[in-house]
Parts: sequence; C-alpha cells; structure tokens
Amino acid sequence: MRREEVRPLLDRASDLLPEPDLTDTAWAGGLAIRRRRRRSTIVGLAVVLLVALIAAVVAGLGGNNTGIVPPTTPPSTPPGFIPPAGQIFGVDYWMAPPAGSERFLDRLETPLGDALQLPVSAGDLREDPFDRVAAVVLSHRNGSFTPLLLDPTSRWARVDLQLSAIRSGEPLGPGAISPDGRLVAFPQPGGVAIIDATDTTDASTRRVALPAEDIRSVAWLENSDGLLVSGPGVAYRVLIGAFTVGAEQVAPVAASNDPFDVAAPYRLDGTGNQVALMRYEANRTWTVDSNPRLPVGTWAGLTFTQGAIAARMFIADQLPQVPTVVSKPQVVAAISRQLTLPSRLLVLGETPAATPTPGRDTPDRIREPGCCFMLGWYDEQTALLQVAGWVIAWDLQTGRVRRVTELDVTGVALGPGVRG
Amino acid sequence: MRDTVDPEFASYVDARQGRWLRTAYLVYGELERAEEQLLHAFTRLSLRWGKVDDPDVFVQRLLYQPALSRWARVRPFEGEDEPVKLALASLTPAQRTVLVLLYFEELTEYEVSDVLSMSQPSVHGHVQTAVGRLGAALGSGDWRDAYRRDQQ
Repeated sequence: MRREEVRPLLDRASDLLPEPDLTDTAWAGGLAIRRRRRRSTIVGLAVVLLVALIAAVVAGLGGNNTGIVPPTTPPSTPPGFIPPAGQIFGVDYWMAPPAGSERFLDRLETPLGDALQLPVSAGDLREDPFDRVAAVVLSHRNGSFTPLLLDPTSRWARVDLQLSAIRSGEPLGPGAISPDGRLVAFPQPGGVAIIDATDTTDASTRRVALPAEDIRSVAWLENSDGLLVSGPGVAYRVLIGAFTVGAEQVAPVAASNDPFDVAAPYRLDGTGNQVALMRYEANRTWTVDSNPRLPVGTWAGLTFTQGAIAARMFIADQLPQVPTVVSKPQVVAAISRQLTLPSRLLVLGETPAATPTPGRDTPDRIREPGCCFMLGWYDEQTALLQVAGWVIAWDLQTGRVRRVTELDVTGVALGPGVRG
Repeated sequence: MRDTVDPEFASYVDARQGRWLRTAYLVYGELERAEEQLLHAFTRLSLRWGKVDDPDVFVQRLLYQPALSRWARVRPFEGEDEPVKLALASLTPAQRTVLVLLYFEELTEYEVSDVLSMSQPSVHGHVQTAVGRLGAALGSGDWRDAYRRDQQ
C-alpha cells in the first residue's frame, strides 16, 4: 500500500459524519466551570474564616492561654508536689487533712499494717531476736506492762520484762527505740529499763537506777551508745557502752520542766521570741544553733532529727493564717540547719462544720492538745506523726500527707525497722 | 469571561470542529466518544481563550492524548462492517492515532510527537507498522514492500 492511498481510505471512512455545532455548548460549559470554581473558592474562604472565628472565640472563652504554653525550664518541684498553703513568719506551711479524713488518705506501706493492734500471739524475743525493731507497744496486765516488739517483717515478739507505770501513766515514750533499731528503753519510776533486741542471753534486758524517782521520757543519743532520761526538772545521760558488761554511766544534764524537751542531737525549745534550735554537746549541755521564728505556745512531744532537719510539734497561740474557733492550731515545725534546705510547717487545724449554720460556727471535729506529736522519721524526707488515733506520714518535699496505720493500741514508739 | 460567546472563539471553533470531529472519530472509532472529547477540549479552551499561545496544539493534546490512555479505551468501530474501519480497528490505539494524525490531520512526525508527548522514533515506528498492517488487512500485500516503495 502506498502512503498516498491512505488518505482517501480515511476520508471515505469519515465522510458521512454529521456537522457538529459545539460553540455555544463549549462556551456555556466553560462558564459553568468558572462559576463552580468561583463558588468553591468562596465556600473555602468562608470555611477558613469560620474556623478562624471559632478558634478565636474558643481562645477568648478560655481566658489567658499562657497556661498551655510549655515551660522553658524544667519543673523545680518533685512529682506530686502540692503548693504550700502560705507562709508563717516566712516559712512555707501546708495544711494537714482535717480530722476524720485520715481513713481516706493514700497509704504508706509499713510493717505496722493497716491497723496496729496487740497481737493475739507473740514469740519469745530470746528465742528469735530481731535485727532491727520497727515498733514497740505495751501490753497491760495486772497493773504491769509487758513490751511487745515488731520487726520489719511484721513479726511480733514478747519480752520477758515487767514494767511499772510511771506518774504520767504508760511507761512508753516516742523516743523509746534507738537510732540503730537494736535497743529499746522505757522510763521507770527511779530508773530506766533497756532491752537489746539482738541479744539472746539473759543480759538482753537491764534496769539502770537513777537518782530521781519521777522519770517520764527517754531519748537516744545519735550513735545509740547512750540515752537521755528525763523527768520534770531532772535529766540524766545514761551511757550504755558495752551494754552486756554493764558499763553504763549516769550523769546529770541540763534539765527542763518539760521532760520531753530533752532530746539529742538537736532539740527545739523555747516560746515567743526565745524559740531556739539547740545542739547537744559532749559536755552534757545544749548550745543554740539558730533561733527560728515560730509562733510557739507550748511544745508537744520530742524533737526528732533526721539529717539536717529537726522536727517537733507545737501548739500555736494564735495563727492569723489558720483561724480556729474552739481549739488552737497544732503545727509540726521541720526546721532545717542548712540554708539550701528550706524549713517547712504542717498545720493541723479544725474540721469546719460540713453544713454551716447561721449563728453557729462550732467545728465538726477538733484535735485536742496533746493528741499529736512526732513519732520519728520514715526516711530523710518523710516525718511520722501520731495524730489522735492515727499514724500519718508527711512528705516534706511534696507536702503530701499519707496515712500509715490506725492505732488500736494506747501508745506506740517507732524505730528504723518501720522502713521494712 | 463574558457570558455570551466570544466572536473570535466562535469563528475559531466553527472553522475546526468539523475536521477535528472526523479526526477524533477515526482515532476513537466511536462518534459519541469523539464528540464528547472534542467538546471537552473546546470547553477547556474557552476557559483560557486569549491566553493560550497555540490554541490548535492545546486542543489537539486534549483531544488525542486520552486515546492512548490505558484506562479510557473503547472497542473502536464496534458493529461496523466497512473494510477500512475494520482495518483501522485492527490497529492498536497508538498506531491508529499516529496514522490518522499523519495522513488525515497531515501533521509532521515532529508535530505528532509533540501533540502525543511521544518520542519521534516511536511515532515513526508506529506509523510504519500501522501502514503495513492496514495494507495487509485490506489485501494490499506486505507492508514492508509498500514502505520500501515509498522510501524509493
């Protein structure tokens, strides 16, 4: 086939086609497309404007939006930090949960369990001694008291020792257990009784006679080789040393009217402008370390020291920051000896009436004076307090308060074994 | 864009629509599809009327490139019994399009390659094959003989 033969063939194949008239239709189609595009552009712009308007309204209703701006610096507070309620004399204070709410607090796990009560049965300490004591309570029978010790594994042991009541009642103070957790001391009329929980011999219990009859408080020295024993206006240092060979020495120390003032290595003492943090010296006196400003009415319980912080409970006379109706606020003062570590306060106030009644402002619950005092330290940042029928823990770093245990016993002393 | 038809656009379309409809019919092998494709090309041209440098190339690209699309093919000249149309139907879409553009639209191989976005050797190869197969289908002997005669 020749190339010039192709064209006639194609002409013949297409010569009977109708003549089209596409001009108007094509122009109208172009107009329709243009209008559709313009409409789409307008609708798109309207949608964008609407979204921008909604975003502006939402931002306006949300108020200041600086809250969602990520911080430029990492947080300086630990996780779970609770901001302080305010300041008392320039010291940050937190409000403790009101009385009656302890049961609903988060729990700090300890060998004490959910509720601390006298055990149904307990082994003999001489048969199975402890490495460390977690807690000690007293069993009262026929006018005398028998110590019951709890170890970090929640095991109870009975001590073959009969204790007499002291003038204030039960011969058990919050400072009974030595810092190393091995020794336990009990104030006794005219002396002090000491138990070595790690000793299986008969020498595991010992009584040390003192010149004064009215002995009410014991507080251990920092290295657990001696203790301070005190009563109203009298105080003695009892050196234990080689406890089993009877090397104790009794020497008088500067006394105070309140037996619980006497504590080592630091004690918080004084009222009004005379509040002082004092350090116990080897010559059996205290020297003033600092004079913190605290609105102290009276002190309650012993001073417990952990690291650079000494803590003691006091009853305040008046606190403008924490108004009360019936009772006086009780405050745990955790006073730091280091400039880099702030002092902190925990205030125990009243529980206001759940349903306020006009003309009646009596609170639902109050905490009586003497109900609350320091029991020791769980760790370097957690103080343990007895608050009425509860032991609670106050985390100084976060300000958070947790329950430790409910007390079904008349008294308890805690030792380092409480950390488990 | 004015609401009434631009007179220049109208005269442009009037002058070409008949010829391009026949070309498109030979390429697609279906009148309805050819008219639809031509209308689409003129509609697009109307949107850019006055802005396009070469309206002919603009329309031809829109008109013929879809014939090569793998997804838009139809069976050409279905139901026809005319030998020429049956012979055209036996070609591939690329062979048929190149053949029609060269011998009916009378474009050069260079213009065909530009309109179809195809290389010139490909256009050349397609037309050689198309002429040979068309001749064979119509009983005109081996296409290579015809092509050799053409070259001489």
